[in-house]
Amino acid sequence: MKWTPFLAAPAAIMLIAPAGAKVYLTVEQTQQAVFPGAAFSPAGPPGVFRASTGGYLIIDRVIGKHEYIKFAVGINANGTIKQIEILEYSESYGYEVREADWRAQFAGKSATSALQLNADINNISGATLSSRHLTEGVKRIMMMYQSSLKGR
Amino acid sequence: MRRVRPLLGTYVDIAANGGADPVLARAVNAAFEAVARVHRLMSFHDPDSDVARLNRRAADEPVTVDRWTATVLRQARRLFEATDGLFDCAVGHELMQRGLLPSQDLDHVESGRFSAVELLPDNRVRFSARIAIDLGGIAKGFAVDRAIATLRGYGVRDAVVNAGGDMRVMGETARPIHIRCPADYPFLVPAGLLQNGAVATSSAMATVARNSARPTASSASTRSGATGIDRKAYSVVAPTCLIADALTKVLVQVGDIDAGYFGHFGASAFITSAVAADDRAA
Repeated sequence: MKWTPFLAAPAAIMLIAPAGAKVYLTVEQTQQAVFPGAAFSPAGPPGVFRASTGGYLIIDRVIGKHEYIKFAVGINANGTIKQIEILEYSESYGYEVREADWRAQFAGKSATSALQLNADINNISGATLSSRHLTEGVKRIMMMYQSSLKGR
Repeated sequence: MRRVRPLLGTYVDIAANGGADPVLARAVNAAFEAVARVHRLMSFHDPDSDVARLNRRAADEPVTVDRWTATVLRQARRLFEATDGLFDCAVGHELMQRGLLPSQDLDHVESGRFSAVELLPDNRVRFSARIAIDLGGIAKGFAVDRAIATLRGYGVRDAVVNAGGDMRVMGETARPIHIRCPADYPFLVPAGLLQNGAVATSSAMATVARNSARPTASSASTRSGATGIDRKAYSVVAPTCLIADALTKVLVQVGDIDAGYFGHFGASAFITSAVAADDRAA
């Protein structure tokens, strides 16, 4: 293990969380990640696909107080959840407007102030973020599946 | 390749680099499987988990658990003893009382300490008192360690596994680590560069105190509302994520980055204050 703490003055080194959503998977990549080798056909509402190998892939989004998450639920032919994947994730959703003003405060404060915003801020440690909103979104999808897709 | 899935009540983010996509995809899938296995074994909520079975029955008879659960309990014991009881997974009673954990089928549970957990041969476990354990303060770190070990088993040599803020990095790259402070959302503070190690962060709001001298969630109700609780970020860097995760709960309670507990485990601690809030007000 090698740990090299930064020693700069705190006020000069703060950054805002990346404002844009991180995209992990496109729809096509998600289809192949969840049902490898399958072909897909639209199955009703937008974001609902039937896999040629059996089962469904349903893409939806949840918007919480801070986060925006686009996710997919793969459902086996027998109605059980096969896999859940996050396609896009933004945990600072809604802060884009504030960001510019906030950054302006730091103009000239330090050579490294607000350094490479949105660049290389991949490794964030903090008190655990809850995935409760997403859990509710998955429940909603499974209810929709039960009522309108199952057995079709 | 970078993938995110919801597990352990949070978002688990796994990035693996170097190698062909199909190989990385298999490695990343297997790493998520390892995390999912920890989730199944150590969830307090799932009635079929090892933890739920222990809490229901181990006070009456020995309960056989998975070897991974036994490993985590052994580490929890080591941490309990080396931190003068500050790291204590026997907080089920307190968390249920506060409504943070469900109490179904657990009416028999009383307040107690982790010293009541007896680790017997053949992965059997017995409680010598009517306690309930919650591995929420250590299992996430263990899951991250298992994910890294799984990736390594697939030949991956450069990876990051981040389970909602508890993370471990592997490889030749020294990676910048940023800390999210509860009071500063959504601002981040760059903390340092980490190579082949783990970092975890906790807050006073998420910790049950065994040392009543400092304000944490368990004493918040006696103070003047939620603002009485501090909103600093308590971070620990350690060789493994299990140790980092567990020691954040100790750091919240002692509030002293120079306490001997951290060096004992080859770890170092730091506290991030609400600098952004202060600066904005100024």
